[in-house]
Amino acid sequence: MSTIAETTPPGQARRRIRIDGWRWGGRIFLVFMLLYTALPMIWMLITSIKSGFAALQFPPQWWPDQPTLASYQKLLDPQNSVGQDFLRFFWNSLFVSTATTILSVIVAVPAAYAFSRFTFPGRNFLFFAVLLRNMFPAVIFLVPLFILMRAIGLVNTHGSLILTYLTFGLPLAIWLLKGFYDNIPVQLEQAARIDGATRFQAFVLIVMPLSAPGIIATAIYSFIGAWNEYIYAYTFLSKNEQLTLPVGIQRFFSENTTDFPGLMAASFMMSVPVVVLFLVLQRYFVRALTEGAVKN
Amino acid sequence: MTILTGKAEVTRRLQPDGSGVLRKIWEHRADYAYVLPAIAVMLIVIAYPIYYTIELSLFNTPPGLQLRDKIFVGLDNYTAILKSPVFWTVTSNTLIWTAGSTFISFVLGFACALALHRDFAGRAILRAVLIIPWVISAVAASYIWKWIYHSDFGIIGAVLVGLGLSDRPPNFIDSVSTVLPSLIVVNIWREFPFAMIMMMAGLQTVPDQLLRAAKVDGANAWQRFWHVTFPHLRNVSTVTILLLAVANFNSFIIPWIMTGGGPSNASHIWITHIYELAFGRQRWGVASAYSVLLFLILMSLGYFYVRALSGNEQKDGSE
Repeated sequence: MSTIAETTPPGQARRRIRIDGWRWGGRIFLVFMLLYTALPMIWMLITSIKSGFAALQFPPQWWPDQPTLASYQKLLDPQNSVGQDFLRFFWNSLFVSTATTILSVIVAVPAAYAFSRFTFPGRNFLFFAVLLRNMFPAVIFLVPLFILMRAIGLVNTHGSLILTYLTFGLPLAIWLLKGFYDNIPVQLEQAARIDGATRFQAFVLIVMPLSAPGIIATAIYSFIGAWNEYIYAYTFLSKNEQLTLPVGIQRFFSENTTDFPGLMAASFMMSVPVVVLFLVLQRYFVRALTEGAVKN
Repeated sequence: MTILTGKAEVTRRLQPDGSGVLRKIWEHRADYAYVLPAIAVMLIVIAYPIYYTIELSLFNTPPGLQLRDKIFVGLDNYTAILKSPVFWTVTSNTLIWTAGSTFISFVLGFACALALHRDFAGRAILRAVLIIPWVISAVAASYIWKWIYHSDFGIIGAVLVGLGLSDRPPNFIDSVSTVLPSLIVVNIWREFPFAMIMMMAGLQTVPDQLLRAAKVDGANAWQRFWHVTFPHLRNVSTVTILLLAVANFNSFIIPWIMTGGGPSNASHIWITHIYELAFGRQRWGVASAYSVLLFLILMSLGYFYVRALSGNEQKDGSE
């Protein structure tokens, strides 16, 4: 994040004016983009504190007459049937996403390390095969995976989701982690080897700790991906008690067609965990994402 | 190092040339242990489904997926697709959707990256806010925008009426002529932050000396951008555009939740159409044939992707 500030030599007023023109253009543009980005989210929040009646007015109330947290209370109340459902969806999402994340990292760490360090035959082919998976949409895999899950009895279980979420979690994790390993000097391992460590020991004791930021970023990326996944969950699960949030919210919506405040509150609560995770660890995250593409 | 090469030469002299690859594989057997779990998972959940999709595309499978009753029909599913008028509607929708979303997301994201490149108060906060739409779930985004576009209580319609630009709130997503552009606006909302992140990272690699040298030579801001910055970002731009294009081509959630492909197929793109064929109308064979075609298209896009990425690595000198 180190940008070198532009220095304008003193006494060159004309040039400074021209640069200011670009700067002001940029600022106006940023304000426009800020409005485009933020207004929908603000409107979501405002709607979520309206009563169901206040939401359905025309022209809309810009700020509710009687702001209320009733929608949130309803969603978080374990006594209420809506709350029971919502909290269960939330828990299901948490469970599936965490399990996917742990599995992705366990499988991806050694694989990414091998792709970064070793030159075994077929390495490039395998790496690009892994990478290419990210180009294919879930829909292509949906019918055969549905048949497969039915054959091994995993339809309507969270196991089916965890297994299929690896199809997109794993390639991404391998790709991100490889970028991190590429940046760790190989000399560090060589030094450990000279001191008598085996290659595996050097990997576990030297490389793993150094790549901790990369592993964290990868884990978060996998988690967000699994948390937001919709299409497999929509297809594989039909029992209400197993649904994850994205699909659960849809059910919630179709059963309560007019409850827009409730829907907006649910959308907001579904977004909170991933946005918080992302903002806290933004730096690692962005670095991991762009590592491969901006090498020059 | 030198000792190792000598040893390899000795073994090579002892062994016939034909076994070279196998011997190399054997020598590296320990390396494969690291990738084996990953490869095993990929084989089960990726290679097998691809094979099975190709097989299914040649069969007529009854509703309910009774696989025992499937009938071999050769390439009939493929010809059925090409003859259907829906195919062309859906294809043109997909092209508009992909090209429009990709191009505008990239331009907006790039412009944001440029505007955010220079330091100013509040830059970090602004950047964080601009990224949020990309992080939140597409399902949440779809519902937020569905509410914004709502034909009775939507806020955009209310503003238009309030300003006297329209007599009554327009039906953004219920009308054939406006549905696709309306959905593209939502998609761009979610995707321009990705382009922004990529281009910001790219901008940091532009050598400052070059920009200063250009300035000394009297190049104005636009010339510096066009002749120094932009050419330097060619690789990252290519990768970003390709990733965006693939992601947009593969979109499902926004069109599916907001309109389900309607009204009268006006917002159906390939992916949503395949989903509806398979799980809605249970025409598994035709849906699989569509998937195979999609697979071929994406493979050719993938070829460019890999080429763009390996171009990077060659410059890096590490490959």
